[in-house]
Amino acid sequence: MLAETLVSDVLARAVRGGASFAEVYVERWKRRQLRVLNNDVKEATSGLENGAGVRLFYGTEVAYAYTNDLTHEGLLDVTDNLVRVKGQAGKVDPKGRGGLDFRKTASRGLHDPKVPFEEHPKPYRLERLREADAGARVAPEIRQVESYLQEWEQDVLVANSEGAWVEDRRVRTRLYVNAIAQENGAVQTGTAWEGLSVGLELFDRFPPREVGKRAGGQALTNLRARPAPAGTFPVVIGNAFGGVIFHEALGHLLETTSVAKKASVLSDMLGEEIASPAVTYIDDGTTAHAWGSSEFDDEGAPTRRTVLIERGILKSYMVDRWGSLLTGYKVTGSGRRQDYTFAPTSRMRNTFIAAGETPLDQLFAQVEFGLYTKEMRGGQVKPGSGEYNFGVQEAYLIRNGQIAEPVRGAMLVGKGPETIRRVVAVSSDLSTASGMCGSLSGSIPTEVGQPHVLVSAIVVGGEA
Amino acid sequence: MTQEEGRRYVLARAKERGIAAEVLTEMGRELTARSHQRKLEQITQAVRGGIGVRVVVDGRVGYAYSEELSSAALDWMLQEATDNSSLQAEASGFLPKSTAVTRKDMVGDSLRGSLEAKVQMAIGLEGTIREDPRVKQVLFASYAEREWDVAVTSTEGADGSYRRGIAGLMASMVMAEGESRKQGWDDEWATSVATLEPGRTALEFTERTGRLLGAKPLTTGRYRAYIESKAFGSILAAFTPLWNSKNVVERKSPLADRIGETIASSLVTIVDDPTLPEGLAGRPIDAEGTPGRRTVLVDRGVLRSYLTNSETARALGVENTGHAWRSYRGIVWVAPSNFFMAPGAGVTLSEGVIVAEVLGLHAGTNTVTGDFSVQALGLKVEDGRVAYPVENFAIAGNFLSLLKDITAVGNELKWEYGMRMAYGTPMVEVRELSFAGA
Repeated sequence: MLAETLVSDVLARAVRGGASFAEVYVERWKRRQLRVLNNDVKEATSGLENGAGVRLFYGTEVAYAYTNDLTHEGLLDVTDNLVRVKGQAGKVDPKGRGGLDFRKTASRGLHDPKVPFEEHPKPYRLERLREADAGARVAPEIRQVESYLQEWEQDVLVANSEGAWVEDRRVRTRLYVNAIAQENGAVQTGTAWEGLSVGLELFDRFPPREVGKRAGGQALTNLRARPAPAGTFPVVIGNAFGGVIFHEALGHLLETTSVAKKASVLSDMLGEEIASPAVTYIDDGTTAHAWGSSEFDDEGAPTRRTVLIERGILKSYMVDRWGSLLTGYKVTGSGRRQDYTFAPTSRMRNTFIAAGETPLDQLFAQVEFGLYTKEMRGGQVKPGSGEYNFGVQEAYLIRNGQIAEPVRGAMLVGKGPETIRRVVAVSSDLSTASGMCGSLSGSIPTEVGQPHVLVSAIVVGGEA
Repeated sequence: MTQEEGRRYVLARAKERGIAAEVLTEMGRELTARSHQRKLEQITQAVRGGIGVRVVVDGRVGYAYSEELSSAALDWMLQEATDNSSLQAEASGFLPKSTAVTRKDMVGDSLRGSLEAKVQMAIGLEGTIREDPRVKQVLFASYAEREWDVAVTSTEGADGSYRRGIAGLMASMVMAEGESRKQGWDDEWATSVATLEPGRTALEFTERTGRLLGAKPLTTGRYRAYIESKAFGSILAAFTPLWNSKNVVERKSPLADRIGETIASSLVTIVDDPTLPEGLAGRPIDAEGTPGRRTVLVDRGVLRSYLTNSETARALGVENTGHAWRSYRGIVWVAPSNFFMAPGAGVTLSEGVIVAEVLGLHAGTNTVTGDFSVQALGLKVEDGRVAYPVENFAIAGNFLSLLKDITAVGNELKWEYGMRMAYGTPMVEVRELSFAGA
C-alpha cells in the first residue's frame, strides 16, 4: 500500500529526531451501504477512504499525526512536524540510519471471505434486503420495515522502527432490520441484526428473512407489553447480545487504557477474586470470522485468546503497546482503533462469558419474581466508579420461575464490581452477537456473548 | 489534485454525461494536546478531507465518496454514484436550484496561539484538577481544536463555502471520599481559544463530580425532577430526531402531522439558529448550499416547524429551513445547528431530585416512540435545599410527556457540543418523573 522505502524513510526520520519508537499505520477502506425502507431503496452509497497515522513514542510520551496525503512529501512533512513539536530535531540516533530490514508478515487468510467484495451485482443485495423486509411483516400491525446492509473491506499496513511489517485485510458485513408496529395510536419497535467477518455469505449463515422475522416478532411483542416495573430485582440476562452487560460492567474496566492510570476500579488486582466463581470471562481475537476478529491488531501484534477471568479470579488485562510500556504487562494483541484518525488503545475483540453448568430451566426456577431481559440494546460505563447502564429491547417478567408477560422500556443500572459478584448461576447455552463499541480510539466492531446468566439484584429502570 | 480542482473535475465529467450532480468537499484539521502528571502525554496533529457526490439520474438519487483525489478515484466515484442511483424505484429525486453565496471565514484569528501556549492550557487544566484532594486519578486532561472547511457546488447553481473552527477543554478524573468513587467526564467548548479558562473550567469539572461523592441509594418512586441544563441538554440532543423532517416523512417521528398542536408546556420555546453569533455550530449555508436562518420549532408549547432540507420540504409541502446535513462520506440528511430551548424566569427548589447527569442515552431512548429510560446521578432536594447526593437509579418516561410537565424553566443557557451540532438548554423543573432505585 505504501513503498517500503517511504515507510523506512519516515521511521528513520522519526528515530533520528529522538523518538524511542516509531510506527506507520496505513489503511484503505472500501465501503458500501444500502438502506431499504418498505421495500424501496432510500440510500445507496459507496466510498473509498485512505490515510495514514504516524505514532512516535518518546519514552512514555506519545505524538500522533494523521493525514490522507500519502505522498512522500506529505508523510515526511507530517513526521517532521511531530519531531519539531517534541523539540528534539537534529538529535542523532545511530539506529536512525535508515534502511530498516523489515520482517514481513502477511495474514494467513483465516478470516477471508468466501464471497469477494466485488462479487454480485447491486440488485442482488437489494433482493436480499427485500427478503428481510418480507420476513419482518409477521402481522398486519407491522407498518414499517427498514433494513440496512453495510459492507467493509479494510486493508491495513503496520510497520514500526523495530522492523515489524504486517499487512492484514478485514472484510465485514452486517445486516440490520428495524420494524415498527402500530395499533390504536400505540407505536413500538423491534430490531434484529447479524454481523460477521465475512462477505455476502452472511446471508447463508443468517437468512435475511429470519433476521427480519425476529425484528417483526419483537415489535409485536413490545406492542403487547406493559411498561416495565421500577425497582431492584433478580434478573436473568439473555444469551448472545446479553453479553453487553459484562462488556460494560467488566470488560472496559480491564483495558489498560484505564488500568494503567489506575482510573479503573479493577486496577492492580491480578490474581484476586473479583467476580463470582461462576464467571469465566474470555476475550478472543482469533475466532474464525467472528465480528471482532482480525489476524493482527492495529499495532501489528498477532491477536490471541486472552483469559481475563477464570472462575472469578482476575488473570489478565487487555494490553496494548503503550499500556504495556506503562504497566509492564505483556501485550495481548488488543491495540485497536476505528481508523487512521485515531491512535490505538487497548480494546475488546470478541469477549464472552464461558458456558456454565446450570440447565436453563433451573436458572429461571430460582426466581420467584424478577425480570428476563431477552434482547438488549447498548450500554455505557464509567471505569473509574464502575457505574454502568444498559438498555433492554425485549423483556418479560419472571413469576414463580416461569417466563410471564412481556414488559417494555427497561434500563438496567448498577456498579460493575457489585454486579459480577452477584452472578448466581451461568447456563450452558453460550452464543454471541455483533456490536459497535465506542471509546477513546473511536468506534470499532466488537462481539459480545454469554449463556443465560442469573444476577441476584440489579436496579431496573421502569415506570414507578 | 486540490479539492477545488476535484470539484471542478467531477462537475465537468457529470455535465459531459448529462447527469445532475452536487459535489461537497470538506477539509478538517485537528489539534489535541493531552496532559498527564502535568506533562504533555500525547499530541495529535492532523488533516483529513475528502469529496462526496450526489447524482440524480432520471429522478433517481445515488451517492459515493472518495478520500483519494486522483482522476481514477473520482471517475470510480461518479460511476458508483450512478450505479447506486439505478437501484432506486422512486423517480422524484432532484437537486435544488440554487445560487452562489459569498464565502465566509468564521475562523479568522480565533484559533491563533502558539502550540506551547495550547499545551500549557492542557497542563494547567490538569494541574488545577489535581489540586482538589479528592481527585485520585486523572485519565486525561486535554486542549483540543477542530477546524473544517466546507464547499458545495452543483450543476444546478449551488456554490458556497465556509471555514469554521472551535476550541475546547476536556478531562476525565476519578474522585474519591471514603468508599465512594465517582468519575467525571466533562468538556467545555468555545468559539475562540482566548475565551477558554482552564482554571475556572477545572473547578467546574471537580465541583460537578465532587458533589456526587458519598451518594446514597434513592428509593423507587415518583418525584419532582429538577433536570440540570447539562443533563437536559443531552436528553434534548438525543430527541432532536423528533424534529428531523426525514423521520417525519418516513413516519418515524411522534411529531408527524402535529404542526399547530400543543405538544409542550407553554413555557417551552425551541429554536434552531445557525446564525447565532455565540453559537458553536453556526454556518452560513447548509450542505446543499441553502443559506441558514433562524427557525422556531416550538413556540410557547405549540409545534410550529420541523427541520427540513430541499427534499423533505417538497415532500411535506413546507418551506426549506436550510437544515440539510452531510459529511462527504455520508448522504444528505437533516440535522440541527445551534438548537436550543429559550431560557425562562428561573427555577426555585422545593422538594424532589436534581438530575445532575444522565447516562446511556444511546441505548435508553427511542425516538420513534419518545420513550426513554436512562441511568442518572443526582442530588436529593428537601425543604428547598440540596440535602444529599443519590446514585444507582434510572429515570423513565416519555419525552413529549416530559415537555408537557415542565413547570419552570431556568434563566441561563448552557451549551453542549458534538458532531458539529450544538445544544443549548436551561435547567427545567418537571412536575413528576418516575425514578427506579432501591
